[in-house]
Amino acid sequence: MENYWNQEIECMSREDMKKLQDERLVAQVKHVYENVKYYRDLMDEKGVTPDDIRSTDDLHKLPFLTKADLRDAYPYGLLAKPLSECTEIHSTSGTTGKRVVAFYTKNDIDLWHDCCARAITAVGGTKDDVCQVCYGYGLFTGGPGLDGGSHKVGCLTLPMSSGNTERQIQFMRDMGATIICCTPSYAAYIGETLHDMGLTTDDIKLKAGIFGAEPWTEEMRRSIEKSLGIKAYDIYGLTETSGPGVSFECSEQTGMHINEDHFIPEIIDPDTGEVLPEGSVGELVFTSITKEAFPLLRYRTRDLCVLSRKKCSCGRTLIKMAKPMGRSDDMMIIRGVNVFPSQIEAVLIEQGYSPNYLIEVDRVNNNDTIDVSVEMNPDQLSDKVKDMQKQERLLAEAMKAMIGINPKVHLVTPKSITRSEGKAVRVIDRRKLHD
Amino acid sequence: MSNVKQISVFVDNKPNNLAGVLNTLRENRINLRALSLADTSDFGIVRMIANDTEKTVDVLRGASYAVTVTEVVAISIPDSPGQLSRVLNILGEENVNVEYLYAFLGTSDKAVSFVIRVDDNAHAESVLTNAGVIQLTENDIAEM
Repeated sequence: MENYWNQEIECMSREDMKKLQDERLVAQVKHVYENVKYYRDLMDEKGVTPDDIRSTDDLHKLPFLTKADLRDAYPYGLLAKPLSECTEIHSTSGTTGKRVVAFYTKNDIDLWHDCCARAITAVGGTKDDVCQVCYGYGLFTGGPGLDGGSHKVGCLTLPMSSGNTERQIQFMRDMGATIICCTPSYAAYIGETLHDMGLTTDDIKLKAGIFGAEPWTEEMRRSIEKSLGIKAYDIYGLTETSGPGVSFECSEQTGMHINEDHFIPEIIDPDTGEVLPEGSVGELVFTSITKEAFPLLRYRTRDLCVLSRKKCSCGRTLIKMAKPMGRSDDMMIIRGVNVFPSQIEAVLIEQGYSPNYLIEVDRVNNNDTIDVSVEMNPDQLSDKVKDMQKQERLLAEAMKAMIGINPKVHLVTPKSITRSEGKAVRVIDRRKLHD
Repeated sequence: MSNVKQISVFVDNKPNNLAGVLNTLRENRINLRALSLADTSDFGIVRMIANDTEKTVDVLRGASYAVTVTEVVAISIPDSPGQLSRVLNILGEENVNVEYLYAFLGTSDKAVSFVIRVDDNAHAESVLTNAGVIQLTENDIAEM
């Protein structure tokens, strides 16, 4: 029995949804053109006026926004409402020096939390559930978004934020938490800690987890499901478009339904900007059609993925996006080959290793080198050095089969790679130091 | 079976990693009979024979180390020239492959002891017995 938070919208016919999107897009373009000088200039430059946008069929005429635009316009350049009407801000971590600040009106917050409520309902959440939110709270969108959604659904909400893992588990047990929300890498760490504390899945009541904010693999999903005894669901979002809840997974676990009544997705060729037909791999672009304070039109996410309108067994008609193959920011170009950390992760889990790893990329004599530190599997310890070296060699071969280049694999002691309580740091690229 | 249990521990090839293992043993008042370290550029494998194998494994696992136990042959031979080569020749003639070996102190100053890791313990044991080589047992080690 599938539960919906807003059945009318989530199961709306394509025809009705398009009509709703058309109306909202036309109004949104007008709102942005009138209130955001930065975007008006971009439209003028392209020779597009709000009158040219009569339906979603005209969407491709609008100029793109990129992260660089957001940086140029920082902090208020893309704001579409007076500050007096804004009640909240959120921000990306800015660790790459590209901090993005997004603004919300009261209504924006309400709609955002509504999107998160759909995600919680889709994993079976009701007011009878206890929802433990261990995404970070604060400027990060993860904690506040799922917290708001959980309140809307009426779950007993545990506002844990991230960190202090043993206390997380204690609360999880004492309060009988049934749903957990955090990053997948933190979920893996919580699972590991649970077992280190001598506990099993019988000691907790969790049934579902909503995990997002970083790329993860199917292999990681299965590993988390096993260690926490739950169903693990993906959720997607980015600060630029509000936060988590842009799309969410249903019982089918085969991709995330995009909340199309708020966000229109497109897939484009990242090089030419041309819109690609459904089913093509390309860069995901979002247009916010309901946001008031920070309404981004045709924002390029840098996430590579595929969209599908294939009928879903859950009954939702909302378009589905596949798990992004990785943000183009995470992509490493090593000896001219595109490599995503998620590819390394898939190999490790498949071969029975911990998903905690560290990739170090460097350049020696103008040659790129890739070193992967992997926690050895205690069950496979041999007293013979050659056996252990064989494990390193087999791992390197499996990685080479996946990524096309030969990495150097280093086995390290179990639990020696720093665990993440939020977004995991998997890559250190030292080549930048030489530039 | 007169084989002896050897404990192997995985350590990173980084400062203080071996010390960490030995600190754990010291805190638990465990005495080692034999020790050898095999190393690569990435990691090392510490192999040791302890007075209490079970306790040693427990405390090391409790401290999150990766530990494994393997059975090895331990012998005691006279401390004079040619004795080890005699033993290796016996094993070689019988096609027993030696993976590694290391010496340790016994209780007598006229004899020297060796841990020998072979590919076939039962076979090694019988050829050494036939050749009259003294093999140490778990009990011998515990009483040292």
